[in-house]
Amino acid sequence: MPYKFIEHPADIAVEVDGNSLEELFKSACYAWREAAMNISSFNKESSKKFIFNGTTSEILLIELLSELNFQLYSKKWVFVTIQNLAIDKTDSEYHLEIELFGQTFHPEIHNMKEEIKAITYHQVKIEKVGNLYKTLIVFDV
Amino acid sequence: MNISGIEIEKVNDNLWEIPITGEMLVPGRIYASEKMFKETLQNDEAIKQVINVAHLPGIQKYSLAMPDIHWGYGFPIGGVAATDINTGVISPGGVGYDINCGVRLAKTSLNYNSIKNRIQKLVENLFNDIPTGVGSSGAIKKLNSNEIKKILRNGSEWAITNGFGSDEDLILTEEKGKIKDANPDAVSNRAIERGMDQAGTLGSGNHFLEIDIVDEIYDEKAATILGLFTNQIVIQIHTGSRGLGYQVCDDYLKVLVQSEKKYGFNLPDKQLACAPIKSEEGQNYLGAMRSAANFAWNNRQIIMHLAKKSFNRTLNISDAELNFSLIYDVCHNIAKIEEHIIDGKAKKVCVHRKGATRAFPANNNLIPDKYKSIGQPVLIPGDMGRYSFVSIGTEKAMEETFGSSCHGAGRVQSRHQALKAAKGKNLIDELTKKGIVIQAKGYKTIAEEMPHAYKDVSDVVDVMHNAGISTKVAKLKPVGVIKG
Repeated sequence: MPYKFIEHPADIAVEVDGNSLEELFKSACYAWREAAMNISSFNKESSKKFIFNGTTSEILLIELLSELNFQLYSKKWVFVTIQNLAIDKTDSEYHLEIELFGQTFHPEIHNMKEEIKAITYHQVKIEKVGNLYKTLIVFDV
Repeated sequence: MNISGIEIEKVNDNLWEIPITGEMLVPGRIYASEKMFKETLQNDEAIKQVINVAHLPGIQKYSLAMPDIHWGYGFPIGGVAATDINTGVISPGGVGYDINCGVRLAKTSLNYNSIKNRIQKLVENLFNDIPTGVGSSGAIKKLNSNEIKKILRNGSEWAITNGFGSDEDLILTEEKGKIKDANPDAVSNRAIERGMDQAGTLGSGNHFLEIDIVDEIYDEKAATILGLFTNQIVIQIHTGSRGLGYQVCDDYLKVLVQSEKKYGFNLPDKQLACAPIKSEEGQNYLGAMRSAANFAWNNRQIIMHLAKKSFNRTLNISDAELNFSLIYDVCHNIAKIEEHIIDGKAKKVCVHRKGATRAFPANNNLIPDKYKSIGQPVLIPGDMGRYSFVSIGTEKAMEETFGSSCHGAGRVQSRHQALKAAKGKNLIDELTKKGIVIQAKGYKTIAEEMPHAYKDVSDVVDVMHNAGISTKVAKLKPVGVIKG
């Protein structure tokens, strides 16, 4: 897996990597899902598209994961697969478009692990190390 | 003393100072014992966070930390900072994601011995009556956005109007359960949506409802005024603004992180994102944060009422026999505009308390009349296997900590470490042997929240007591716990 959960004094921290910025973002989405729940089988019931803009790639990443969090806890919807994910960069802004397939989440039936209150900005720094893009992400639980 | 490369000077046995270095605007001050520094603060990033907070524009006197200090986001947990309302900033990181997370303590006229054999049933019924756990919902009917906005504006008054308690409860709640100048229009539709089915729910993590007994009294006069007696059954509720508050924090961090350049701030940590108090962003956050605080007070009010009904039904006794009533409700994650004496002059400041409890002294105008002779109750929960404390605020707190004290125990083990340590143990059995009945959504929560994952809260409370910031009134011992 292109992510690894590491020790954190109170919350959940995960190291994520990818061969490209897009791969890193995908890995982060799957890491978020694994931190939040423990379900073995998924159904692709519906699709959703989202667009985000941010002045840095870190802000874009936090925005994306925060949206997944909102979809889960408010819309009771969880993504199953990432159909398309594209990131563009202009001089002043990053732009992300994503299409997700997912399903309705039933908290009483499915196995929710932790309530992720929020995706924090703490220590998020996307860096290219060799051929890999890497960052740490901390979920407040 | 040198901790992780940071020089710390001893002021006295309970107080340590970090002198100004680099771009710090004020010194840091940490209330702690030497033992705490040696045992739990050695490699804790929280000390660095005290230094980071000292960089906030407009910060006054000191960047403070209470003895339950541990690593947070931006601010350390246990952090207190006051900023000048004209030249200073407001930072969501100084409040936290769980806006107005707080504690409520209610009393009964029951003696433990008279209901000892009913605790199991009480815990079962409380667990069924009060939604707990991840994404818990449905304590009361799902509310529409208009009703949520009424809660955001009116706080606990909404609960009272809708039959969940009495007017007396408002008097005994910090800010009377309704902080002024809340602005529901500054709360996003997303945050409102997250709160629609969460009024009256406990949530997960370290949130809980406990049945406690008054185990020991240290201050007879204050205990009498608070209505506490030995072996009495009391109820503690620890929760906050749930998903609505998390979303408000999230929404405004997004705005403030992106506006850092606009105000020319160069802060050492993105989670310290802030805006001038008088700016549009600052005022909007304050209005939204106050709205979420009102949601939290209303939440604890509903839960208390549901708990009272559980007691009535389980024990089959009348309100008069039960005499279930609120002692006090405090918040420990909030920013408030208050007046404090700085350099000999009264000054309005924005006091950020992030994992810190207001601890106002006797005769302060902002505490209920019935407690004016003793000071404001400070409620400090410990872990579920040991004890919690009731203290009262002092004049010294006003002089030294902007009227603030500690809020809890603070973790010493990560959740993962706690889970590992719990392997092979039967924690429910261990708690039962101690006379504590527990019910939780899952065993994982119990393992993560096991007593030894936390500091001994008595160490924390003693530092504040010995420093004269908040003095001990009573020790509470859990006999029944429900958790998410």
